[in-house]
Amino acid sequence: MATTERRVAVDPDVYTAPTTYPDGRPTKIPSPVPSVREVPEDLRGSDDVMQVNFGPNHPSTHGVLRLVVDLRGEEVLGMRAVIGYVHTGFEKNMEHKQWWKAITYPERIDYVAYQHNELVFVLAIEKLLGMEIPPKALWMRTLMCELNRIHSHLVWAGTSGLELGAVSMFWYAFRERDMILDLYELVSGYRMHTRYFQTGGLAEDIPVGFYDECRKFLEWMPKAVDDYESLLTANAIYLERTRGVGVISADDAVALGLSGPNLRASGVDWDLRKRDPYLAYDQVDFSVPVASDGDVWARFAVRLDEMRQSVRIAAQCLDRLEELQGEPWIADDRKVVLPPREELHTSMESLIHHFKIVTEGYRVPEGEVYVPIESPRGELACYLVSEGGPKPWRVKFRAPSFLATAAAPTMIEGTLVADLIAVVASLDGVMGEVDR
Amino acid sequence: MSYDGVPGLLETREAFGETTLVVETARLVEACEHLRDEHGFAFLADITPTDYLGWGTRGVAGYIGTADGRDLNAPGSQGLHKLPEPKPTRFSVNYHLLALRQGAPRVRVQVWVEDGEPVPSVVGVWPTADWHEREAWDMMGIRFDGHPNLVRILMDDDWEGHPLRKDYPLGGEPVRFSGEE
Amino acid sequence: MARSRPKKTRLADYGLNSERLLWPRSGAAAKGPGAFENELGPLEDKLMLTTVEKAVRWAQGSSIWPDTFGLACCAIEMMSIVSSRYDIARFGAEVFRSSPRQADLLIVSGRVSHKMAGPLRQIYDQMLEPKWVMAMGACASSAGMFNNYAVLQGVDKIVAVDIYVPGCPPRPEAVIEGIVRLQEKIKAGLPPAYEYREVAIT
Repeated sequence: MATTERRVAVDPDVYTAPTTYPDGRPTKIPSPVPSVREVPEDLRGSDDVMQVNFGPNHPSTHGVLRLVVDLRGEEVLGMRAVIGYVHTGFEKNMEHKQWWKAITYPERIDYVAYQHNELVFVLAIEKLLGMEIPPKALWMRTLMCELNRIHSHLVWAGTSGLELGAVSMFWYAFRERDMILDLYELVSGYRMHTRYFQTGGLAEDIPVGFYDECRKFLEWMPKAVDDYESLLTANAIYLERTRGVGVISADDAVALGLSGPNLRASGVDWDLRKRDPYLAYDQVDFSVPVASDGDVWARFAVRLDEMRQSVRIAAQCLDRLEELQGEPWIADDRKVVLPPREELHTSMESLIHHFKIVTEGYRVPEGEVYVPIESPRGELACYLVSEGGPKPWRVKFRAPSFLATAAAPTMIEGTLVADLIAVVASLDGVMGEVDR
Repeated sequence: MSYDGVPGLLETREAFGETTLVVETARLVEACEHLRDEHGFAFLADITPTDYLGWGTRGVAGYIGTADGRDLNAPGSQGLHKLPEPKPTRFSVNYHLLALRQGAPRVRVQVWVEDGEPVPSVVGVWPTADWHEREAWDMMGIRFDGHPNLVRILMDDDWEGHPLRKDYPLGGEPVRFSGEE
Repeated sequence: MARSRPKKTRLADYGLNSERLLWPRSGAAAKGPGAFENELGPLEDKLMLTTVEKAVRWAQGSSIWPDTFGLACCAIEMMSIVSSRYDIARFGAEVFRSSPRQADLLIVSGRVSHKMAGPLRQIYDQMLEPKWVMAMGACASSAGMFNNYAVLQGVDKIVAVDIYVPGCPPRPEAVIEGIVRLQEKIKAGLPPAYEYREVAIT
């Protein structure tokens, strides 16, 4: 049931396009179960309809997603998604680890946008602690998150291009992706899952040489995005396969909990970096791409433009970081942050604090917080409940791909099998995040 | 933003810059519809169940740090045995709502239930609640009345038990030197 | 005068270079066979050493085609070994086959939950012999950091693993080393793991 009968006025600043479908229908959400599209009554049990299983091991299901579809020839009549094939029990595992040891877990939830997961967990802890982080850490976190946004969109562009048959896109996208991973390796020693964000700031200082390398990458990246555009944007086959496919209206998208590029492609100008800024996003200049068609093509265009905007943000962060060289990279609160190693030789208190923080862990005040950020997939949030002790009581990650996968049956009305692949690819779902 | 008109409102709490509305379980759907229609909370971000079994028994003590360090002038701030307040029931179900307008207002609606007590489903208010409630059922065993398809979503269909409950063991293999208590 | 060939009793004599396979290799304890060699038993019986078999093994080892079995984070690193910088096509893994019937190597990349264990075993069973399995990453080798109810504690509980590549995720170069060691193992004549490791045999 779409929330079309609003009694509260729709904010035109946010809803930049008509919120219902062009043909006038209020909603396409299936009923009674919003996440299952059933075969129409008259065709149920007919010999023409065949139930086919896609996955969980399938080259184009973005991880282990199983789609049970009812097909009549090539036409998709019914669909439901079965998830849970990579359910890892993150939330329960994190309840048994100390706060700083638990930081390695969120990274692996959304394994393509790992910095954002780290960030949201660390921001939630810092909100409970009421901790201020130094400006260098603020800007570096912003830079790493924007690089991660580019990384995530590159992986998406490469794999979804591959699924639609545009194989060259994969090679191009992964060429830049390796450049970003080189930057991450330079900073933290790891290509993926860097564990670079810690409570209070960053784990280590920014190494010499990073600024030049990052600058080189940021100068190269817009040309790379031009390359991708030359491959796909005016490509007749790609346009044919993606225009008008998988349309979802703004009303339905909001009702189904979609966020991020999936929502912005339907005309809703909602980006938490602008609307509810965190980190240094209120101090940088960037624009938020919004499309109005709500189809696969719109989602593609929004993400491609976002890559350009991320380069802009990253360049500004880099300028600011070059000014902040030599500043501290982590907060000075010794109750939470490990003291610098040189101090351990001279200060007894530092030694004791180091010992206590490492063995027992620091304590976070009692309370519950909900911290949302704008991950490349949408609104990623961490709901954290602390008992006041060294381990979390409850951690929940609100994963945007979870809702996007549940929204897939709404978008596939009247599509063919090939379009189904395009739609599922355009939602940019990462199964690690869906299943947690 | 005044939430006085929300039906079934029991308590309003403000902490860490967030507003929590504790609502009567029986009037949850009314309260959600009121918030959606009158206050514009059209976006349900998250439904999170939490299990408070054993809350306060771990004995958390000691000083909690601030950015400025320890306050030497606050006597008794070290080693003070501070227990958290007990919770009314075992489970709480939290609904995180967002209004898509200037200022990005957010609110948390909270209901408290006991083991076995069902919660009315809000699928009719926000269709996105479908999978959130299925996950809450699967992981915590909280039943939602009126949900059209309340089956397991993350675990195997024939799994027994609700893994995120506090009395469900972590599982896995026994490992030497794992550091677990 | 007959030339005497040195007796080949250790895997190192057959061309295997992997340290883990042959450890300990030097020092006081290096006199005897390592754990893996003990597991294999008498090498002359196990290894295929006729010229024809050697040729077959050489061909098999040089053209291992993996199956697309990406589960989680390691899958992303597995994608990067396909891409142009860490190209595994130059090691013979030209294409990743989507159908297990056409694949030789199952690279289990990522954490295997209990729900996925069934499909994993089905995919493994569908592969035609000879088939090899690489446990890529810490989660496939031993569940990594996820010692909990949801994750299968090591994929070697349900399939016979030939080579383990540690890391979280392993660097692409590490995965390539894994493939190269596997190739050495094949070319040396060692049978695939299901012949000497009994795992979930029905």
